[in-house]
Amino acid sequence: MPSQPPLPPLLTPYVSSLPPSSLTLLSSVLGATGNWLVLRFLHAALSAPSTPDSAFSFGEGKNGKKQKVVLVSFLRGWEFWRSEAKRLGLDLARLTDKRQFAFVDGLSELFSAPTTPTTTTTTITQTPPPSQPSLRGGPIPQRTVLPARSAPGPIPARGPQLAPRPAATAPAPSVPSAPREIGPVKRLHWSGNGATALEKLEKDIADVVEQLWATAATTEGGEESEVLLILDAPDLLLAATGPNKGVGATEMSDWVMGLQQYVHATVMTLAADSPLIHNTSAFGHQMATPLETEHAAFAIGSAHRAHMVMQLRNLETGAARDVSGVLRVSKGGAWGQRDNADEDGVWEEREVLYFIQRDGGVSVFGRGE
Amino acid sequence: MSFRKRNIGLSTGGDRPAALVNSAVPLQQPAVPESTPGVRPSPDDGRPTTSTGTPSLDNILAGHGGLPIGKALLVEENGTTDFAGALLRYYAAEGVVQDHRVHVVGMPEQWGRSLPGLIGPADAVDEKQDKRKGERMKIAWRYERLGEFGAGIAGSRVPTATPGDQSPATADSSPDKRPAFCHAFDLTKRLTHPSITNLNYIPLHPSNEPLFTTIHKRLQAAIASSPPTTVHRIVIPSLLNPTLYPPESSQPDSVLPFLHSLRALLNTSGVRATAMITIPLSLYPRASGLVRWMELISDGVIELCPFPHSADALATSGAATSHEEPPQGMLKTHRLPVLHERGGGSDQNVGQDWAFTLSRRRFEIKPFSLPPAEGDKEGQDGAVSGGMPKKADLEF
Repeated sequence: MPSQPPLPPLLTPYVSSLPPSSLTLLSSVLGATGNWLVLRFLHAALSAPSTPDSAFSFGEGKNGKKQKVVLVSFLRGWEFWRSEAKRLGLDLARLTDKRQFAFVDGLSELFSAPTTPTTTTTTITQTPPPSQPSLRGGPIPQRTVLPARSAPGPIPARGPQLAPRPAATAPAPSVPSAPREIGPVKRLHWSGNGATALEKLEKDIADVVEQLWATAATTEGGEESEVLLILDAPDLLLAATGPNKGVGATEMSDWVMGLQQYVHATVMTLAADSPLIHNTSAFGHQMATPLETEHAAFAIGSAHRAHMVMQLRNLETGAARDVSGVLRVSKGGAWGQRDNADEDGVWEEREVLYFIQRDGGVSVFGRGE
Repeated sequence: MSFRKRNIGLSTGGDRPAALVNSAVPLQQPAVPESTPGVRPSPDDGRPTTSTGTPSLDNILAGHGGLPIGKALLVEENGTTDFAGALLRYYAAEGVVQDHRVHVVGMPEQWGRSLPGLIGPADAVDEKQDKRKGERMKIAWRYERLGEFGAGIAGSRVPTATPGDQSPATADSSPDKRPAFCHAFDLTKRLTHPSITNLNYIPLHPSNEPLFTTIHKRLQAAIASSPPTTVHRIVIPSLLNPTLYPPESSQPDSVLPFLHSLRALLNTSGVRATAMITIPLSLYPRASGLVRWMELISDGVIELCPFPHSADALATSGAATSHEEPPQGMLKTHRLPVLHERGGGSDQNVGQDWAFTLSRRRFEIKPFSLPPAEGDKEGQDGAVSGGMPKKADLEF
């Protein structure tokens, strides 16, 4: 059991070699979250091709193109992804350094303007350029800062750094300290209303993608690369803003479609809990709230545009000690619309069980296996 | 049961504690230099955790033995009872005793004055109970410990070991030397502690800014202005309760951004904080999209389903033995911190039916079980007719 491969063989055809300009939808529920599967997508795209099975078939892009990943996360911070990826043997800080990976932080400052709201909207767009030249050094202070939290003697280590804090103005301290610790991470900030705010987010994300492209063109001698965009829980945007702020399912779909233009393939995670999907149906005896209708419309619309839909859900028969949940892979609405059938990849619809071990390894198996 | 079989059971029981000590030693080392009161590394992965003030709640949190720092726990409650409020009070009182900075949102200072009085370290109280149990019945000592794993302090300290082979010696000897992680409180007494005046009350005053923006700013400022070694506890009683919060605050575009910012605040590196939020489910049912999103944003979700008074018959028969207090309700864990963020599963406590009992001295969570056939048929009938439909009702 401990020697599980990071990428279970059963999963490999699904998470690697995504067809060009495709959307993969990954739906999860409260008790069966999809972070582990997102990590598998990361691993499939980013892991070095030294492992034998990825070398001969799936690992890299189909044409041997180098894969890069932009991860936009709205519910989880950099620290979570970094530590979880480490369990899979992916060093995201180093990959960021090598310009193979970029993280866009949609958690830290999305709705909470960091104490000086008017200036931050402009500084946020300006943060990546300064961090870009110093990228070599960027993650390194980060590595020295992060262990200081758990390592013995954090107090003497922090003392000198934090001494100037009280000297600075009271509301300011969190602002200078935050970028230093996060390093080369772009933070999204919601400002304004409806379509304009979404446009700004789109531009911010597109900038990050462009930067990956740009470095690919210059540093790697024109070696072609594909960028995979992973949107983690963009439905939070919809839920937390809603029609009152001019964001509905249509705007969100447009937003995702806009982002798809910049990248090779897109993976999007959504919540598909039954109150969010089924309350709008005729069975619901009470009136559906706008939150529910818009979410259902967005989720179902996305499934229709998706090439593949991966659903995670709890076991219907209740919790079990050796099963974490059920993974169902099915064809999305956009499957088979291409002339070349091979483009869609070689995979079949199926339903499997999965189990997350304590060490982070995953075993995927069919029912009764 | 043959003699041989029992022998095997004993020998595995002897092996495990050895392995247990080996694995526990490296984990406990970082605790020594850190020495923040009330914070200890998780036995599961070493991340710092802090106690919720309720030992049995600490034990069901996915083997971390407490609430990991940076995580928020959402406690939902059905009906008009205030069991969740008791949990919050324990949580706040534990923070006061441990010199953590406690932030109370939307409650008057009266609330802080009514925190339960300190009895002593929870381990000591538990030990006394254990001794009493030990004297009472010697025959079924193996089963006694089986029953204890959910409620007892030893249960999830080493989550990989099966509950049966916990050796009480290993579990009980270590906490004595270290400062107490969790304390026991008496609900009928009032907490008197020098640091109780440090409670930070964040009132809900209407202003021209949106309410939640104000709360968030005040939390952020309070955390930023305190030294980085401080451990914070954010207590949000009865979120969205219309007697406290204005009606517009229950709009998704008002409360969800707040919870999201709160999550961001907890996840900020350098900030050591936890949060506990309660919400009345009778007003905001779980079947609504808003509550589901609040759950999705929280790290841990626990639902309390108190038994109605008509089920008192069930409650009395629900106690496994006559000396145990009857359960007062069911507790469901919908999501546990860290565990579910990683994907879920693999925890021995997941999917278990829990019952809770609130007494003067403790809030106890233990596995729920319908009683074995008792002499009279009536108790059983009551259990079936009263228990089964209610379970189905509460399921969704």
